[in-house]
Amino acid sequence: MATVSIAHRTPAKPFYFNTAAHLLRITRQKAATLGELLDALRECPEESIFQHTFRTLQEHHFIRQGFSNDFAQWAVASCKEPGLGERLAAVDVREFTSVAELRATFLAIVEEFLKANPEAGKRTAQEVFYFCASDTVVIPTSFVAQTMQDFANGVRSVSLHSIHHHFIEARLRLKLMSNDFSQWLHEDMGLTDSARALNQIDIYTVTLEDVQKQIVRIVERALTAGGN
Amino acid sequence: MENVKEIEEKRARSTTATAERPRPASVSAPHAPVAEPERRKGPRTWQTPPAPVPPPPLDNYASIVGAAEIDELRYLARDLKGKTVKMINSTAVGGGVAEMLNRLVPMLGEVEVTTHWEVITGGNDFFEVTKAFHNALHGSEYTLTRQAQEIFLAHNEQNRRRMQFNEDVIVVHDPQPAALIRAKADGSARWVWRCHIDLSNPHPQVWGFLQPFIEQFDAAIFSSQSFARQLSIPKYLFYPCIDPLSEKNKDLDDSFVQKVCDEFGVDRKRPIVTQVSRFDRLKDPVGVVQAFKLARKYVDCQLVLAGGGASDDPEGAIVLNEVKEAAGGDRDIIILDLPPWCALEINALQRASTLVVQKSIKEGFGLTVTEALWKSKPTIAGAVGGIPNQIIHKMTGALVHSVEGCAYQIRYLLTHPEFAEQLGKNGHEHVKENFLMTTNVRRWLLLFRILLAGAVR
Repeated sequence: MATVSIAHRTPAKPFYFNTAAHLLRITRQKAATLGELLDALRECPEESIFQHTFRTLQEHHFIRQGFSNDFAQWAVASCKEPGLGERLAAVDVREFTSVAELRATFLAIVEEFLKANPEAGKRTAQEVFYFCASDTVVIPTSFVAQTMQDFANGVRSVSLHSIHHHFIEARLRLKLMSNDFSQWLHEDMGLTDSARALNQIDIYTVTLEDVQKQIVRIVERALTAGGN
Repeated sequence: MENVKEIEEKRARSTTATAERPRPASVSAPHAPVAEPERRKGPRTWQTPPAPVPPPPLDNYASIVGAAEIDELRYLARDLKGKTVKMINSTAVGGGVAEMLNRLVPMLGEVEVTTHWEVITGGNDFFEVTKAFHNALHGSEYTLTRQAQEIFLAHNEQNRRRMQFNEDVIVVHDPQPAALIRAKADGSARWVWRCHIDLSNPHPQVWGFLQPFIEQFDAAIFSSQSFARQLSIPKYLFYPCIDPLSEKNKDLDDSFVQKVCDEFGVDRKRPIVTQVSRFDRLKDPVGVVQAFKLARKYVDCQLVLAGGGASDDPEGAIVLNEVKEAAGGDRDIIILDLPPWCALEINALQRASTLVVQKSIKEGFGLTVTEALWKSKPTIAGAVGGIPNQIIHKMTGALVHSVEGCAYQIRYLLTHPEFAEQLGKNGHEHVKENFLMTTNVRRWLLLFRILLAGAVR
C-alpha cells in the first residue's frame, strides 16, 4: 500500500481525542499498620484503588527507578517490608480490566504476607497511609483524527493526561487488554501490527513522555512504511 | 539595617577565621587553601520592599508546562463560561493566601471564569480572637470564652450583612470568615471551605465551636491528607503551589546568581548546602548546623542559612543568636537574616546550592522544599507536615528524622553526584506535575465543574 494512501485512508470512524482531569478526594480510610491496610483495602471505594494504582502511576510517571503504586511504596518506605513491597510493586495495572480484580489481587498479596508474618500486621508504620479517591471529569480536546496523518498530529500534540486516559486508563472502560489507540488502529484503520506494537510499550520503565514519543514513532513508522 | 549589620559581622568573623584555618577547596581535598571570595561592600536596594510584580498572562506558562496543558485549562473552563466565583479571605496583602489569590484570581479570569475577591473587615478584637483561634487550631493551649465566640460571630455577621453572595460558587479561606456560611440559605450557590492550616491536632474546644459551621459547606479543601479532620462533607486535596514565573522561582542569569553569591561571601567553587527558612526552632536551624559540622568531617562544604524573622520577632532574634552560637564563628557557615521581599536573592542562593536542606521538626506544607525541588536541587528534609507529599524517599529527595540522618544524607549526596542529580531531576518533574500554579488552576476548575454538576458525594 502506498504511503499516501495510509496517510489519507478514511477510518471507519474518526478518533476523538479526549482528556481526563482528576480531583483528589480524601476518604475516611487510613492505615497505620499493615493490618489496617488490609481492612482499608477491603472497605475503600473503587475510586481509591484506582487512585493509588492507575492514577498514582501517572502522577509519578517521571520516576524510572521503580515507582509502581502507592501501596508498594508505603510497604517499603514506611513499613520497612521490602519483600511485600516487591510483590505489590509487581502488580501491573495493565493486566487488569476492572478495579475489582485489581483490589482482589492486592488483598490476596497482603493477606498471604500477613498469614506468614502475623506480627508484621501490628507494627506501626513510620507514616500513616491516607486513602484518597479520584473524582474524574472527561473533557473533549480540539483534536479529531479523520486520517492517519491527523492521528499522528493528535498523539504528538495532546497532553500526557490525554495519553494516560487513552493508553492506560482505557482498559477499565474497554474491559479489554488493550487501549483506545490500538483499538482504533486495529478496528478502524486495519493497522494490526501497529496496534500490537503500541500495546507492547512498557509503561513501567519509561516516563509517560517517553511513552508518548514511542507511540508517535510507531504511528509515524506506519505512515512512512505504508502500514500492514 | 539588621541585614547589613549581620553581613558585616559575618565579614568580620570570616576575616578572623581565615587567619585561623585554611579554606577547604573541594570534596576530594577538604583542607587545601583557596582564595577568599569577595564580600559584600555596602547596603543594597533590598532594604526597602520593591513594588509588587503584576502576574504574568496564562500563555507565558506554556513554555514551562507545555501548550497542551494550557489548552486543557481552557477545555476545562469551557463549560464554566458565564459562571461566577467569589473568593473570601481575611487579608488583601501579606501571607500566603493573599499571595496565592493575587495569582489565582487573574488566571481564572483569563479562562473566562469571572472571579471576585473580597476581604472581610473586622476590628482589633476580631483579629485577636482569630489569631488565637489560629494558634489553638495548631494545637496551642487556649481557653475559649463566650466573649471570644461572640466577637467572632458578631464580626462574621456584620460582614454577612455587608457582602452580597450572588455568585455560583463561594470559596471561604481559613477559619476567620467561616461563619459567613450562614448566608448559604439566602441563595443557591455552592459553598467551599479552603483550609490552609494544619488541623491534625486542633484545640478541641475551638474545633468543636467551628466544626458545625464547616459542615454546612458543600465541600472542604485541605493542603495535605494529614491536615484534614473527619467531616460529614467531601474533603478534597489541593496541594499548595508555587508560581514558576515569580521572582522566587523564575530562571535567573548565572551572572546574577554569581553576583548574589559574591555579595554574601558564598564560594561557588565549593559545595554549598543551604537551608532557607525563618529563624524558628521548628525549622531546627541549630540541628542543621550540627548536621553540617558532622558531615564536613568527611566532605568539604559550606552552609548557608538564609531566612528572616529575627528583626520583627523577638523569638526569631533569640533563635538567631542560638544559631550563631552553634556556628561558633565557623567561617564556612554563612548566616543571612533577610527581609521577606528578598525573593530574587533567595532564588539565587537556592540556584547556587549543591544541596538544599529543610530539616523541620514541624512544618506546614513546606513550600521552600517545593522551591528547591523546582530548581532541580537534591533536597534533604524532615519527614513532617506536607514534606512527605513532596519528597518520596530516594526518588525525589531524602527524608530524614535526626541530625545524624541529615548529616549522612549530606555526605552521601555530596559524594554521589549522579544519584543526587537524578533526585533533583525527579524532584523538578514532581513539582511540574503536582505543585505548580497551573495545576492549582486545573484543580479549581475541576472542583467548580464537579460542584456545579452536583456530582459531590
